[in-house]
Amino acid sequence: MLGCGVKRKWSCLEELEVEAEQDGDEGGEDELLVGPSRSEMSRLQQRQVVLGLCLEKLQRYQVGMELSLRRSVLLINTLRQIQEDMRSDGVGTCSPDVHPDSCILRDDFREDMPVTCPGCAEGDGDNLSLSPPASPESPSQEANSPPDQQKPLPAATVSAFSDAVNAMGYLSDFALDDIFEDIDTSMYETSDLTSAWASGSLWPVSVSLWADEDVKMRPPAHSSPGSLQSCLMDLNELDHIMEILVKS
Amino acid sequence: KKKSGLCVCPHQHFLPLSALLIVFAADIISTVEFNSSGELLATGDKGGRVVVFQREQESKSQPQRRGEYNVYSTFQSHEPEFDYLKSLEIEEKINKIKWLPQQNAAYFLLSTNDKTVKLWKISERDKRPEGYNLKDEDGRIKDPSTITSLRVPVLQPMDLMVEATARRVFSNAHTYHINSISVNSDLQTFISTDDLRVNLWNLEITDRSFNIVDIKPANMEELTEVITSAEFHPQQCHTFAYSSSKGSIRLCDMRQAALCDKHCKYNCSLLLSVVDFEEPEDPSTRSFFSEIISSISDVKFSHNGRYLMTRDYLTVKVWDLQMENKPLETYQVHDYLRGKLCSLYENDCIFDKFECVWNGSDSVIMTGSYNNFFRMFDRNTKRDVTLEASRENSKPRAILKPRKVCVGGKRRKDEISVDSLDFSKKILHTTWHPHENIIAVAATNNLYIFQDKVN
Repeated sequence: MLGCGVKRKWSCLEELEVEAEQDGDEGGEDELLVGPSRSEMSRLQQRQVVLGLCLEKLQRYQVGMELSLRRSVLLINTLRQIQEDMRSDGVGTCSPDVHPDSCILRDDFREDMPVTCPGCAEGDGDNLSLSPPASPESPSQEANSPPDQQKPLPAATVSAFSDAVNAMGYLSDFALDDIFEDIDTSMYETSDLTSAWASGSLWPVSVSLWADEDVKMRPPAHSSPGSLQSCLMDLNELDHIMEILVKS
Repeated sequence: KKKSGLCVCPHQHFLPLSALLIVFAADIISTVEFNSSGELLATGDKGGRVVVFQREQESKSQPQRRGEYNVYSTFQSHEPEFDYLKSLEIEEKINKIKWLPQQNAAYFLLSTNDKTVKLWKISERDKRPEGYNLKDEDGRIKDPSTITSLRVPVLQPMDLMVEATARRVFSNAHTYHINSISVNSDLQTFISTDDLRVNLWNLEITDRSFNIVDIKPANMEELTEVITSAEFHPQQCHTFAYSSSKGSIRLCDMRQAALCDKHCKYNCSLLLSVVDFEEPEDPSTRSFFSEIISSISDVKFSHNGRYLMTRDYLTVKVWDLQMENKPLETYQVHDYLRGKLCSLYENDCIFDKFECVWNGSDSVIMTGSYNNFFRMFDRNTKRDVTLEASRENSKPRAILKPRKVCVGGKRRKDEISVDSLDFSKKILHTTWHPHENIIAVAATNNLYIFQDKVN
């Protein structure tokens, strides 16, 4: 399972890292132009690469071998950190100005890219749209650009996240552990968010990881945070975000 | 006295070391440990085997020839098991070995895999009884009616046999993977530690253990931190420390616990007085990998009991037990990897758990790195050295040459560039003789024993 094989050439990930280091002090001029600076772009590229690797590592597990709890926890913490970073950048908000097509994330996760960075996968980095909203330069290599944001999630996505949950061994270990210890009713508590999860909601990962933050983010106009109605509305709002994040 | 023929220049060499023994093992070595006298060196491997080396007594006829280590005992400590409840295999890999201080002619050690700790007794037999009444020389039972007289069996010398027997099996106390064991200075108890719990055992009692630390949250979804290692204080039998995946260390005092009846089962509400050791994070270096690289992979008390050493992915830190807000000393093991963290995350190397070790006088600390490099830091002179454990560089009686990694600019002839490092060759496990400058280093399947040369 370890990827540490024999001596190998560094993947182009380091080029991103080197770029990020080199551009650390630049950006003053670039910020006058439309779009983020080069260093910012490298950081965003690195973020989505790490996000992809994170999901891949969580999904990949050997049948019959127990997962390392330490590794799982570190991976999930990294995932949470990236999601927090994305949220603070404004990615995933449902502002109508933000078209997911122009989002860097969508492009990269449409590709099959376990290892190589977006630049290498596409041959050049120019096709990545740098600017948010009204960029006319939707990357043209995507022949099947989705016409709208609110597509239902494909079955492959659902299974991908189910696999991710299964891969988080400690969540399933937890149930077995309790057979012999104190009965833990936290799974059956009357929290609408967790009950939505337990009832087979499509995005167990998203609900468990994002739920609390979503409650905080909700504007006051919404109904009470704990209601099932608002929970389901959240899930719909997360639709297009899930579409962005998951390879089809 | 014979001259070595080599010029040992004390100014060039931090600590002149040469190879004493190189062993190619059948399997990946997963732990190495000297006993408290340094006479024995135990190794555990991925296949569940333990191999113990013993140092030869120095002979008077060849005084300059230091005692060599030879195989003393080999035994199968753990076998692979199957957990039928979870439908999972339990690896036989030996995670840790800890010796008990020697109290009689026999040697005792604790060995553990992910789930079970075993106490092994290693003893010598060089005599055997002969002249039984009821069985003959081949062991066949005699017909009692043929016996006409009785005799007392006599001990006769035989070829030395070293046997290992499992005296205790401490099992069924860990839901998660055991990462460390530590023998208490009282020599009666020990702790075993998994990702979420620390259990205290009495060496005589196998069907019961006391849970003294439990960080499992009521809702596993809230889990964000695991225990990575724990160790007893070398002198204070009520004090131990444990490290976490978030880079913090907790020093615990069990004196409250000592008041409780030893035979009652502890609850998690047991109060320990704790001191948290953590360095505030430098926000300018924060990245997506900050937490992973801050995860502590090993914690070791100094022999004098005044300091704690911790190893995280890029550094080794020495903490003064009296000062918990920042480490006393920080040593960079391989800072050139800081710019490569994304790739090391990709190939999983960022999850590697390196150990660290003190020398007998607590003046030098040692830890491993990649490319079969290992590093030593002299705490007094602040000098450090990088050495390599490889057959090509370890000719008999040849002093190990210091290595250097080129981090940029023009690479000198003997330097190696970061891009050429072999990340499949990692030194995770090392141990230092308690009194002398003899070190054992595990490099995948190979065991290297190095010693300093004194003429």
